[in-house]
Amino acid sequence: MTLQTKQEEKINEEWEPKIIAFLCNWCSYAGADLAGVSRIQYPPTIRVVRVPCSGRVNPYFIIKSLMDGWDGVVVSGCHPGDCHYLTGNLVARRRFAILKELLEFFGIEPGRVNFMWASAAEGERFATLIKKATKIVKNLGPNKKFEKKW
Amino acid sequence: MKNEIGKLYIELGEEYNFFAPIKEKGNLVFKKILNPDDIILDYFNSKVPPKEILFPKTEVLFEYKTDGKEVTEIIERKDLEEKNIIFGIRPCDAHAFVLMENFFAFGDYQDEIFLKKRENSIIIGVGCNNPKSTCFCTSVEGHPFQKDDMDIFLVDLGEKYLVEAISEKGKNLMNKMPWLKNATKKDVQKAAELSKQAEESIVTKLDLKDIEKVLDPNFDHPIWREVSEICIGCGTCSFLCPTCTCFDVIDDNDQYNNRGRRIRIWDTCQFCLYSLHTSGHNPRDSCIERCRNRILHKFCYYPENYNTLGCVGCGRCIQLCPVNNDLRSIIEKIKKIDIKKEEKISA
Amino acid sequence: MVMIMGIEAENKEIENSMRETARKLLKEKEVDVIIGYTKGTVPLSSAPIMITKEEDVDKLIWNNLCYVNLAKYLVPKIPQLIDPEKGDLKVGIVSKGCVGRALIHLSVEKQIDLENIKMIGIPCNGIINRKRIEKEIGEKEILEFFTSENDIIVKGKGFEQKFSYDEYINELCKVCKVKAPPTLAELAETCVGECKEISSVDDDFEDLIEFESKSSEEKWEYIKDSLETCTKCYACREACPMCYCNLCFVDQNKPIWFGKTTDLSDIIVFHLVRSMHLAGRCVACGACSSVCPVGIDLNLITRKLEKIVKERFNFTSGIDPKKTPPMMDFRMDDAEEFMLEED
Repeated sequence: MTLQTKQEEKINEEWEPKIIAFLCNWCSYAGADLAGVSRIQYPPTIRVVRVPCSGRVNPYFIIKSLMDGWDGVVVSGCHPGDCHYLTGNLVARRRFAILKELLEFFGIEPGRVNFMWASAAEGERFATLIKKATKIVKNLGPNKKFEKKW
Repeated sequence: MKNEIGKLYIELGEEYNFFAPIKEKGNLVFKKILNPDDIILDYFNSKVPPKEILFPKTEVLFEYKTDGKEVTEIIERKDLEEKNIIFGIRPCDAHAFVLMENFFAFGDYQDEIFLKKRENSIIIGVGCNNPKSTCFCTSVEGHPFQKDDMDIFLVDLGEKYLVEAISEKGKNLMNKMPWLKNATKKDVQKAAELSKQAEESIVTKLDLKDIEKVLDPNFDHPIWREVSEICIGCGTCSFLCPTCTCFDVIDDNDQYNNRGRRIRIWDTCQFCLYSLHTSGHNPRDSCIERCRNRILHKFCYYPENYNTLGCVGCGRCIQLCPVNNDLRSIIEKIKKIDIKKEEKISA
Repeated sequence: MVMIMGIEAENKEIENSMRETARKLLKEKEVDVIIGYTKGTVPLSSAPIMITKEEDVDKLIWNNLCYVNLAKYLVPKIPQLIDPEKGDLKVGIVSKGCVGRALIHLSVEKQIDLENIKMIGIPCNGIINRKRIEKEIGEKEILEFFTSENDIIVKGKGFEQKFSYDEYINELCKVCKVKAPPTLAELAETCVGECKEISSVDDDFEDLIEFESKSSEEKWEYIKDSLETCTKCYACREACPMCYCNLCFVDQNKPIWFGKTTDLSDIIVFHLVRSMHLAGRCVACGACSSVCPVGIDLNLITRKLEKIVKERFNFTSGIDPKKTPPMMDFRMDDAEEFMLEED
């Protein structure tokens, strides 16, 4: 192994992805809060955007985030049946299902965009899933596909 | 000689950006070439016109840097001084550059980017031995062998080319090609023959004489309703028109890196957004007005403003219209208005 | 006994019965205007036409180049179909399977009222992939085109080439299961001519298996390669019967969502979001690919959309006017295998 590739590998190991997280106001945002006050450790890779409901998350947000250079996207909402607006997350789920399959079909790594449910009481779960998402995105490396030629 | 195009490229490829017709994904396109063997000169015409070289689909006007709030630095383009050779284009497309210049150099606002690029480009054109059935350049004051708009003009004589320098630029360039042999009388004669043959093979003839006089008073004629009936309002006819120059200017802001750029992109009068006012009013609200605008712009406003027709007769809009809304039949219909009107007057 | 009829004879038969139906509709004043196809002025093309008089009926044709989806003219309704005094005109519309599907789906989305529409159903026998033929012919001019037996023949100056009909029709037509407009009992009034009662469509999507088995990188390369030439003329959008938004997402500028440049990322995002919008709505007519001036083939994406919707939500667009499209609906027990879960 040459010196250069060794260095590259080191950089790769150090590289931390930047992930944008759309969290619903009523469950996941509170769940993240709980993870915080309970002092549960999870990687500082996510930047949180609070949205009223996972149903508010337009697929545009997700695609736009990828285009703007975010390495990964996480969308989190209340568990099905727990939505503050009764069915917002069910509507969202259908959209996400299609978006996820389409992204994969277009050849964009399936792990870039992740969806999850986390309730306000699930600080532990929230942290675990963010850890998992970070690991997936980290393995994929930086998001280069949408990079514009400048 | 045919195999000397490669020589020409080796000679000039370093100094100039060498654009020539090549085949890409089944389409003939004008691209900066890297290998002279790719050049195809035995073609009808490209789908996307070579206006793309001087007026690209997406063109950066300038770039800027910000400090997060205010613009701190404007970076002008540096590549405008680059020299281009546009090789192997057809007389109609070469004439289109002249028409585009009318627009970009009109009035007080000179479009420096376009004009500079045009000035730094040498156009080497090829006569059109086999015009398509939809070509009608002879109806718009053009000719398949028209050489006025080029710097160097080639005629394909079969196994060799007849090379003729037209402009000063062309003559200077010719001096760099010492391997050229003097043309014999026979060659010149053959070229003249080919020219005549090509002219005769153009089957589409449109009567465009004084068409602006018919168009101007018939702005509200019901014919526009009929003509636009099947138009679906896509931009194909104007995007692929060698003389259409409309563009939109947008800012592409990259707030994550504190930078941005101002871009111009092709736009077309066929889109409803093109003429939408900020008040919400749209003077060209439906396909009827938009279709009319395209015809009027080319055949009425152009003659009024620049004293020439705004069409070079390449036939792309006829060939490529998805609903086959044929320009030839539109012109025919317009011409018929005239006759009816005259009848009325005489009656 | 199996009868083998040449494409030409088949077309002729379709054309004759279509003209007869159209004539009858106009004669009995059931419709004010008929939208159909007429012969194009350049080879490998056809043109839509609107006729109001009985004597013009013979201008209507059917051949394998009638690729435009005529439902496009109804949404938004073009001004020519609205009479200043009478209001909406009654429209007869020559409908191959996918035009019929588009009309039914548009009525589900409450964009048209099927009461004002008569579908003149025809059993479509496939649309020729003209872009593929053009590309294969290359730098030669096609001057003549006809079908004979089961071949497509194109002729030009000094050449004549034969293409197999079965091979050179649109990819979507090869797998099409809805040749004539689908009519359930409640649509019996709307449909005249040849229609077929279909309540569900079975499809195994075998044509997608090859592409789907590719790796992410290979898929991306393919998509990149095929979309690269896009000029963003939006002909695909304008030809699509389902693209009827007043303001398309690419035109929105408050905020600017996606760029309008021809940078690769802007091109891919346009096609990605457009296909997202067509999920559960696309009727697989292939008009988008047929009209593309630079010959981009969007059929693969279209097929994938169909597949997703069929497999996930068991829905086929434009068949049953009573069924709610998947994107307007939700279920408590929708599959969610894609959600991130703890190990």
